[in-house]
Amino acid sequence: MARVGVFVCFCGANIADYVDVPQVVEEVKRIKEVKYAVEYKYMCSDPGQGLIRDAIVQNKLTSIVVAACSPRMHEKTFRKALSDAGMNPYLLEVANIREHSSWVHQKDKKAATEKAMDLCRMAVAKSIANEQLHEISVPVTKRALVIGGGIAGIQAALDIADARIPVVLVEKSPSIGGKMAQLDETFPTLDCAQCILTPKMVDVASHPYIELIPYAEVLELQGFVGNYKVKIKKKASYVNFKTCTGCGACWQKCPVKVPNEYNMGIDKRKAIYTPFPQAVPNKPVIDAEHCTMLTKGKCGICKKVCLPGAIDYEMQDEIIEREVGAVVVATGYDMWDPTPYEEYGVGRFKDIITSLEFERMVSANGPTNGVPQRPSDGKVPKNVVFIKCVGSRDEAKGIEYCSKICCMYTTKHTILLHHKVHDSHAYVFYMDIRAAGKGYEEFVKKAQVDTGTTYLRGRVSKIYKKGDKLMVRGEDAQIGQVVEVEADLVVLATAVSAPKDNPELARLLGISYDKYGYLSEAHPKLRPVETAKAGIFLAGCTQAPKDIPETVSQASACAAKVCGLFAGDTMKKDPMVSTINNEYCSGCQNCVKVCPYGAIVTDEVPIGHGSKELRTVAKINEGVCQGCGSCVAICRSMAINLAGFTDPQIINEIVSI
Amino acid sequence: METEVKDQLVSIEKPELVAPPNWEPVIMGILCNWCSYAGSDLTGTSRIQYPPNIRIIRVPCSSRVDPWFLIKSLQTTADGVLVSGCHPGDCHYISGNYFARRRFLVTKKLLNFVGFHENRIQFSWVSAAEGPKFAKVVNKVTEDIKKLGPLHLYKKENFDKK
Amino acid sequence: MNYTKQIQDIAAKLFAEGKIDVFVGYRLNGFDDNHVPVLITDPQDVSKLVFTDKSVFNLVNYLKTDHTRRKRVGLVVKGCDSRSLNLMLTENQVKRENLYVVGICCEGVVDDAGQKMQNCAECVVPDAVVSDELLGTPSGQKPYTVNVDIAALAAKPLTERTAYFEEVFENCIRCNACRHSCPLCYCAKCCIDQETATLYNGANTTSAAFHALMTWSLHLAGRCVDCRNCEKACPSHLPLHLLHKQNESVIYENFQEHLAGVIPEDRGAFYKYSLKDPDDFIM
Repeated sequence: MARVGVFVCFCGANIADYVDVPQVVEEVKRIKEVKYAVEYKYMCSDPGQGLIRDAIVQNKLTSIVVAACSPRMHEKTFRKALSDAGMNPYLLEVANIREHSSWVHQKDKKAATEKAMDLCRMAVAKSIANEQLHEISVPVTKRALVIGGGIAGIQAALDIADARIPVVLVEKSPSIGGKMAQLDETFPTLDCAQCILTPKMVDVASHPYIELIPYAEVLELQGFVGNYKVKIKKKASYVNFKTCTGCGACWQKCPVKVPNEYNMGIDKRKAIYTPFPQAVPNKPVIDAEHCTMLTKGKCGICKKVCLPGAIDYEMQDEIIEREVGAVVVATGYDMWDPTPYEEYGVGRFKDIITSLEFERMVSANGPTNGVPQRPSDGKVPKNVVFIKCVGSRDEAKGIEYCSKICCMYTTKHTILLHHKVHDSHAYVFYMDIRAAGKGYEEFVKKAQVDTGTTYLRGRVSKIYKKGDKLMVRGEDAQIGQVVEVEADLVVLATAVSAPKDNPELARLLGISYDKYGYLSEAHPKLRPVETAKAGIFLAGCTQAPKDIPETVSQASACAAKVCGLFAGDTMKKDPMVSTINNEYCSGCQNCVKVCPYGAIVTDEVPIGHGSKELRTVAKINEGVCQGCGSCVAICRSMAINLAGFTDPQIINEIVSI
Repeated sequence: METEVKDQLVSIEKPELVAPPNWEPVIMGILCNWCSYAGSDLTGTSRIQYPPNIRIIRVPCSSRVDPWFLIKSLQTTADGVLVSGCHPGDCHYISGNYFARRRFLVTKKLLNFVGFHENRIQFSWVSAAEGPKFAKVVNKVTEDIKKLGPLHLYKKENFDKK
Repeated sequence: MNYTKQIQDIAAKLFAEGKIDVFVGYRLNGFDDNHVPVLITDPQDVSKLVFTDKSVFNLVNYLKTDHTRRKRVGLVVKGCDSRSLNLMLTENQVKRENLYVVGICCEGVVDDAGQKMQNCAECVVPDAVVSDELLGTPSGQKPYTVNVDIAALAAKPLTERTAYFEEVFENCIRCNACRHSCPLCYCAKCCIDQETATLYNGANTTSAAFHALMTWSLHLAGRCVDCRNCEKACPSHLPLHLLHKQNESVIYENFQEHLAGVIPEDRGAFYKYSLKDPDDFIM
């Protein structure tokens, strides 16, 4: 006979004000299996838990019901209290009388009390069918996959590898470095981005615990936390990296010119190319889309000039498979395309550029050797207008959110402009200056004084051409007048947007993403690094726009999470998984078809005791099973049950009220 | 007298059966843990008020819901059922709600075919962020089922009395 | 439609070649011209075999028995029977290599009164979809039509349907003949007989019958091939086809014209899904 103990919580006034708790206790005592029932002010507090522990021992209880807040809140707390009293923690049921009763029926105490009673009855009935469950140990593959080789991926990979955990780093483009490699200097200290990034890139390449797979994409991820199998497509580079010395003879001789992505298309690269001089790995790849040898079968110059004979036009895409235990996603961001801003003349006027284009121009290794030039005539601009929030904070044309970094990089750009063109003058149209960060406000203040930049608070309504100048018309809200500024060059601080491949990647990894395409964290405040899928973590702008210090922090946090996951040889897993009763299984294998994790395989068992003849039955891999219960619901012979949510438990709940 | 009888609530399936005074329906709400249960918690944390007729059962996923639970609920305690899961594409278990959706449609149509009003079996997708939507859904379902009157069909005690 | 001679010859040949241990076919029932199933193990008995439009029963049901399990079996199947055989194969209940299937291009069978069966009039797949040997001329797949009884009932007011089905469930005597006659009810232990299901159900009540028949029909939803073995077996003459045809029509209309067992390796409608499945009934 079951002996159930019921513990009803006041939750201070949260429950007690709207539910008559003593009456609930009285009512619950009338259930014949209930041998002990009591109320207390805060069940989750230490004395509250003590009450549970003592009652278990004194009353020889066989299952426990706590009527309090949502089980999503304190189920773990109370389970621990049960364990501490020597009881199997899974004999606990939580009746959610706060979120589901007292907080939502505040105007009707009688009804709320009655509902609380019913919820208690249901929980008691369910708990009677509860079984003792034990945590499952699953072996862990101690290797991490990092997707994306920008600063986030680099940092995560290095931190994990430094803990002597092997890392597979997959980068889409031919070189790691990401967006940060395109930056000239970084706010608020004006360190040269290359100077702080390239040593890390070299570390990645030379780290004994990092396997760098550039020019590759993740194709498939199977398995579960601690035991993922990943398929990586290594795109054909047509250059054998093992024999290539990186001398550069090939790309110097290549006759095909293609807009250079690294320099935002301002200059040209060759069809065989290394993205930038400091690239890691510093080996060229052939752009199959533009190489005439690969498209038309004519040319072959690079092969002729390559002394080590590293060029291989026959190279095929390669599928690499790795077993990993955790995944860090660090796919970064895309720059938002400002085309919808027609009134600015985007696309019509050559001298309107985006901030990243400006960044490349003022960069010492950029296409204009560090001196900004007007794309139309190559002249050095004197009057430069910076427009902030292009795309950001604009529901109509762009995106609702603040891109977070534009205020700071625009400030940096005014400084860089001032450094490169001493007699220049910068105008900044802005909505707000958001400079929250260590040293950020000081940086903005100092820049305003040092550069003498004119800040105009207001939106630009129109840009038109007057001679070879651009006239920028906007509102200066502080004086309440329309102003017009004559500009040689206009720089748009375009928004940060989610990588366009994110939704596809999210589907492939089985994680979720928000309406903008950013990957979703498990909890916005308390689990900002994890995804809802165990063992997959997020670093950098793929989760939301953020600056470099924040990105690096998050990447290191990911590394800490991964190291924590790999701390033991096995991983503890929730025992709420499906189990199969072979006696009832008829081996139809329909459950195999509905399992989203491939956790069900077939097994052969003797048809009877001692028989040599075999029949097929289903078998659950409890390490893979995530406990969704799909198989349970479709099993016609009820041979499968889901621990914690068995048929008797749920039916008990249904019929108990 | 006649007008009084008209005002009384009758079972839509069996109009000869009149609801007892102050009758309140019982609605069995079966919610998936990751979206709808979390959404219902949010309704609570946001203190959005809704009618107290729903009794909530937590399951890991809408795909855990065997049509049998619905039959059993209607046959024993409930005047109506609401099953709620994650929006299509958002299933915590990747594809659970797609399988569930097929079963729900067939079950609903079958129950309706054998004589249950279709509004007694309702489904919704409520995400963890949709606290207000959950309240709206419960409001609607409760309102619908109140109109239908008590469910007398196949309740064991009715036959025991007979 | 008379394939008596051909089937006798085939069975005799199979026994002579030692390819089968048992042949499942039809024989005359002994007192009128209706047929009953027969399991022949002695080659001398092949002359008992008959096949006409009186060969009504779905013989696939006999693959569940110990007389045929793990034996080499010769079997006669009509269109609908072959679909259930297809599902038995897909669901791993019989091994194809153990079977020799004589498929019939069925022209429809008749009931005891000599009337063409309703399911034959509405038959979509008259030709056997699984066979080693096909008798008759294939006539191809027919267009799907919604069962006339379903359409008529669905058009009635709710209260009438309620009353109608209450009577149906009340007349059920819970003998489980429907289940035993169904080739696709092969579970080692039927859920209806398990403790969890019988709990709170009462024994032989209308409520229990409702619960059992609803569960049963949902377990066959997307799998039932409309052979009507169950209806023929029912001693209370319950219109069991109504439940199955209702599910079938909903599934056919909403789930990409799914028909059970027509395509090999195609499982029931509940074991797959489409992103385009109807969603408008969900709030």
